[in-house]
This record gives sequence, C-alpha cells and structure tokens, in this order.
Amino acid sequence: MTLSTRFSLTVGLLATLCLAAIIHILVVFSIPQNVQHSAFDNVAEHGPDRQFNLLPDVKPGQEALPELDPAMKHATCRFELADGPVLFDASIPVTFWSIGLFNSAGEAVYSLNNRTAGAERLSMLVLTPGQLSILRENPPENLEDLIVIETPEISGFALLRAYVPHHTKAAEIDAALQAASCQGI
Amino acid sequence: MTDGSLQQGNTGFTENDWYDDKLPDVIRPTRSHPLRKLTAVFLVIVLASLLGISSAYLIIERDQPLDAVTIGPWRAFPKAGTNEADPYSVAIYTRGAVVPLASGEGLALVAREDSAGHQLDPTCIYRLSGQTPTARLWTLTAVDGHGRLVETLPGRVHLASNNLLRSPDGSFEITAARAPHSGNWLPLAASAKAADGLRFMLRLYDAPVTTGAALDGVSVPAIDRLGCP
Repeated sequence: MTLSTRFSLTVGLLATLCLAAIIHILVVFSIPQNVQHSAFDNVAEHGPDRQFNLLPDVKPGQEALPELDPAMKHATCRFELADGPVLFDASIPVTFWSIGLFNSAGEAVYSLNNRTAGAERLSMLVLTPGQLSILRENPPENLEDLIVIETPEISGFALLRAYVPHHTKAAEIDAALQAASCQGI
Repeated sequence: MTDGSLQQGNTGFTENDWYDDKLPDVIRPTRSHPLRKLTAVFLVIVLASLLGISSAYLIIERDQPLDAVTIGPWRAFPKAGTNEADPYSVAIYTRGAVVPLASGEGLALVAREDSAGHQLDPTCIYRLSGQTPTARLWTLTAVDGHGRLVETLPGRVHLASNNLLRSPDGSFEITAARAPHSGNWLPLAASAKAADGLRFMLRLYDAPVTTGAALDGVSVPAIDRLGCP
C-alpha cells in the first residue's frame, strides 16, 4: 500500500481524535461505577440503617457530606426496601424543614418540605409497587393520612434538613431530629 | 513520465526490480517496516488515551455541570442530581458524593464570578445587593473554590434571609469581606490566599423557581467588587 506522508498523517490524526473521543466518553461513563465513596456509602458511616442518624453540625473542616448548608441541621436514614416498606415520621418545631429521598446513585427520587407536606407532622410511607399492592388488600387505618411514595428503587437514603433560626433552638431541633423515625410499619 | 525515462540502460523492468532505486519515488512502493507501523499505531493509541483522559478529567474537575441556567452572575443546575442529568453532571455529582438539593426542597445558585465577570477572590470586598427570587427562606454561604466551608473570624459562615436588614422596598445590601462591616456582613475566610478561590452559594428554600423554565427574568442579587488589598 502506498500512502503519501501527508495522507498518512491525516489518517493518523483522525484516528487519534476518534479514539480520544471514544476514550473520553468511556471515562465519563465509567466514573459513577468506580467512585470509592458515594453519598450512599458516606451516609452509612453515621449510624445503622433504618433509623435517622443525626449528622454533626456543618462546620468548616468537618462537613459530614459535601455542600450541606451550614444554616441547617441534617439527619439521614438509609434503607433497603427489600426489607419491607419504610415509614418516615417526624415532628420538627421549626419554620422550615424538608426531606429528600435519594436512590443509591444519589439521584433525587422524591422531595417535599413542610409547606408541601400539608401538615406539621411528616408521615410518609415509601414502598415498592409490589408492596403497595399487598398493603392495599389489608390497608392500615391511617393510610389516608400518609404520603405514600411508590418507587421501584430498592435501596436509597433520606436526608432530612431542618433550619436552625437561632443557636438557642439547636438542642430542641437535635432532639426532634433524633426522635424522627424511619422504620417498618 | 515516459517509458524512456523509466527504462534506463538496456535491462527491462521485471518484478525483481520492483524496489529498484532507479524507479521514481512516486511509484516506488514503500513497504513500511513492521516496527514502524507498530510504532505509529502505538503512538496513536497513547496520544488518544492522553487526550481522551485529560479532556474528561479537565471537564470533571471544573466541577460545573453542563446544563446550567445562568442568571446574572449566578448559575443553577436544576437537572443535576436527578435522573434527567447529563453524563457529566452524573460523573461530577457521584465523584463528589454530593447530595443535591432536590426540587421539592429548594434550588441552589452558585456564583464564581462577580457581575463584571471577574473571578471571585477571597481577599477582596464584595457587595451583594438587590433581591432574590421568591422563596420562603434563603441562605447565603461563602465557600472556597472547591465548595468547602472555611474558617472565618466570627465562626459564622452564612447569612439567612430572616436575620437580614432590609430597605423599605425589600431589597438588601450584603457586604462580603474578611474584616467586620456594619450592616449585613457575610464573613469571608480569615486566612485565605487569592488562589484558594471563592464561591457564593445562594440556597433558595421552598422557592417556586425550582425548574429551569421558571428561572427566566427573576431578579438575583448583583455582585460588585468594592476593593481588593
């Protein structure tokens, strides 16, 4: 095969660029599978699954999770829906609180705050479609009062945020977050 | 090229003369050495890997998801951290183990530059003035170039909307500086070099503007540099 120098250089350059693009895409897509500490893993360091664990106050140099708001107090609960549905129950006496449900990849599945919850008390039931159909056959009496979230995500975690208007309220909020439950029905 | 110039001397060309020096360069087949071919392929692979990996690294390290909504100096990433996120946002968020602010909770706005387009510098003094999009509560935090909190003189690293001094029309003026200032003071890092970087995080809680479409035309605080040492 006879190729002029310029032609072989062009082919070489094109081959390099195409291969570089493929490698770029592969690297970007492989990062989520290869992270050593996902948010889902980090949450587990703060206590056992299926209960709300209070995270330490967000202070410089000791942030429990990255990019948390220092104006808030946080509690997390990790759960596996394979172990049964999870009932979140909390009563937090502050002007603002919110809860976010995330899957094991750290993507938001569902979220609400104390205004959209429609009640002062958080009572939310998270289950899989299969568990919901079993529950419907023999519904508990307070099912209408619950926010029912049906999700195919088997494992995930919840992050509860409560606004601290003043540090004098900190102890009260800590107690409320620790009293929050994240258990089976 | 004429026949005559090819067939110099009295010998006619046979297949054995294929590599003859007397053939003009253009038609003389150059059968490249296998080692040379191998080197070329190897070079292509090495260069491509370098290029692909370094470009991916640079984009991920920039720490800025692609589908940003820009309002003045502020940027928001409403889709990052959801299942609609682009692959770069997914890589950035999972690598940083960031738990995003979900849409039902609020929206986080980040500023890395002031309103004039200059990179924020933790040694400078900034004025943030104007109004924020409607929200039940908002907080303003100063973090370093990696998004981490920094030690400040009073130990406080944020300002919240309900503890703010405002003018009668509801607008506000915040001074972000290392040293104490009268009025609304957002403390910056007590001992920071310009290279540490600075970002302002404005978190709007329970805000109607949680989707990108609703973000057009909302008013955000302007960031003006008042002076640098």
